[in-house]
Amino acid sequence: MNLYFNQIAAIVWKDFVTELKTRELLSAMFIFALLVILIFIFSINLSIVKASEVGPGILWVAFLFAGTIGLNRSFMLEKENGCLMGLMLVPADRTAIYFGKLISNFMFLSIMELFILPLFMIFFDVDLLGHLGPLLIVVFLGTLGFCALGTLLSSLSSNLKTREIMLPILLYPLMIPIVIGVVRMTGQILEGVDLLEMMKWIGLTASFDIIYIGVSIMTIDHILEE
Amino acid sequence: MESHENAMEARHLRKSFGVLKAVNGIDFELKQGEFLTVFGPNGAGKTTLIKILSGLTQPTSGTAMVAGYDVTEARPEMRKEIGVISHATALYADLTSLENLMFFAKMHGLEQPQEQALKVIEEVGLSQRRHDRIRTFSRGMLQRLSIARAILHDPKILFLDEPFTGLDLHASNVLKEHLQRLHDRRRTILMTTHDISCGLEMGDKVALQVQGKFAFFENIADVNRDQFEYMYFDAVRDNQFTMGIGP
Repeated sequence: MNLYFNQIAAIVWKDFVTELKTRELLSAMFIFALLVILIFIFSINLSIVKASEVGPGILWVAFLFAGTIGLNRSFMLEKENGCLMGLMLVPADRTAIYFGKLISNFMFLSIMELFILPLFMIFFDVDLLGHLGPLLIVVFLGTLGFCALGTLLSSLSSNLKTREIMLPILLYPLMIPIVIGVVRMTGQILEGVDLLEMMKWIGLTASFDIIYIGVSIMTIDHILEE
Repeated sequence: MESHENAMEARHLRKSFGVLKAVNGIDFELKQGEFLTVFGPNGAGKTTLIKILSGLTQPTSGTAMVAGYDVTEARPEMRKEIGVISHATALYADLTSLENLMFFAKMHGLEQPQEQALKVIEEVGLSQRRHDRIRTFSRGMLQRLSIARAILHDPKILFLDEPFTGLDLHASNVLKEHLQRLHDRRRTILMTTHDISCGLEMGDKVALQVQGKFAFFENIADVNRDQFEYMYFDAVRDNQFTMGIGP
């Protein structure tokens, strides 16, 4: 069991060292998310619509679109020079490879989100600090579901020539239940609704997180095989 | 390794991709410490054979045992016993050679991954470049580092898929010396190559794979080199006609 966790840690370490050297992933995701928010800011009139109504949708669109860039890049690194083959040849359970990549993706996306949230607060003139705890829980649940499914699908699409196109086509429809849940919850949090009053949405989002992780564990063996 | 005299054996091994039969009924066995060189024209199924034997892909039918393990089960225990070197280096371009090998040492669960990585880096003569990103390495250096990655966990069996591809004469000679040293340490080796002189010089047994089958399988001591060369070039020429690229 120790080896299993060490292998997961080794994959996360390798991804972080690579990112520290190249700084390609985080900067690309951050700039993309920022641009999405800026485009929406210039296209809507916040004196007519309430920020708490349109803001959550825009925030999550920014997270999802930027996260897709990260997911695409994540498995492209493994395909370069046949590294995925190297990973398949080590005595590791395939789920260790999946969880290693999932944790890396989750951490990169979370770091990007932590930089985007204050900017969102400034641009939309909303108070996030007063609701930081519940908001972080919602962001955690949404990001986990996105990364759980995204890591599985990016490993699937990495073998395709049209991977950049295929990943969003496969990912976004399956993300709909989680997106509905997190957008609703984020909107309610901005309006000051207590987290305990959103238990059905938390339940829905958490259920899909668990389902996607479960499906990934069951299928990753077949997906990673050539 | 489980106690088996044969380090490797295949029985009626087949692998199809739709109508294409990449491996079409291969039977052979290799004892511990033997070196088999497999020649064959492009598209003969040599890489597919290595992929099956190393557990990277499943055969359509037939059986294969490597280090006493059934390859269809793709068990992690089997992967501890094998190392694979192919034309793809399986190394991360933005990591240094030391970081790359430390990563694979950790994935293999080796104790003291850094010490082990440094040891094999020295063995392949790359100590001076251990802190350099491998993006800056020449093809020959990458191939040596690829050997280091494959032998890091001291496997009993090595699969080499056209390891001389893209190497200049000097790099080829250096690689040949490394492989010879590995063979001297009683490792079982299966190598595919197009390089007749290297292949015949280094191996104990030789096979010619044509259209997914072993058309020839002999001890190198019993092989007439001129006849074999003629047969090999014949197979390559026929293959070109079959693939529609002949004159």
